[in-house]
Amino acid sequence: MKNRLKVLRAERDWSQAELAGRLDVSRQAVNAIETGKHDPSLPLAFRIARLFGLRIEDIFIDDGDTP
Amino acid sequence: MILRRPEGLGPGEVRSRQRARRQLAYLITAGAVGGVIGLITGAFDEGDGNLFAGNWAALALDPAVAILLAVLLAFGFVALPLYGFRTIDELKRAQSLIGFTGGVLAVLAGFPIWAVLHAGGLGAAPHPFGVWLLAFVGMGLSYLYALWRH
Repeated sequence: MKNRLKVLRAERDWSQAELAGRLDVSRQAVNAIETGKHDPSLPLAFRIARLFGLRIEDIFIDDGDTP
Repeated sequence: MILRRPEGLGPGEVRSRQRARRQLAYLITAGAVGGVIGLITGAFDEGDGNLFAGNWAALALDPAVAILLAVLLAFGFVALPLYGFRTIDELKRAQSLIGFTGGVLAVLAGFPIWAVLHAGGLGAAPHPFGVWLLAFVGMGLSYLYALWRH
């Protein structure tokens, strides 16, 4: 699953640690999501969407690769 | 540096540093508990037993020391991991579950494989500490794999 998290974070000039703290996850989790190595749970996806004031589908794009 | 709190940090950075400090404290506590267990075991072992050789009958501890060690082991192997599970985020929880799965599979497969190999005259008979090591090493290797994959 692709996502726009890195772009959205950069637009706000936030570090990964800043975003991680705002989402109450580890910096490693933010990095894993940004690099597509970890798909967030639905509750975390909603937290991310709320934080950026967007809908989940505006941030995460299903590329049909996820089983 | 996670132990200092520089000025001008965003609220997210501050929370990230708090999380890192908590994790550091957890690791220090776990290491200290392990060290104390090792120290007490080494200092108060009164017998000639050896966990690796499997001669359990020769292991000897004072009952009070044994109870103290049992409490410390329960704290180190039950209370601390459960507390850790409640505080980590979903990525680390997923990595930990991969680790625990590896540990369980190592025993489920490792013990019967070890037993049939012994029955075929290849190697020593399975013994409890060896089975525990299977779980521990299997868990550690699986956790490292999960870290590498993420």
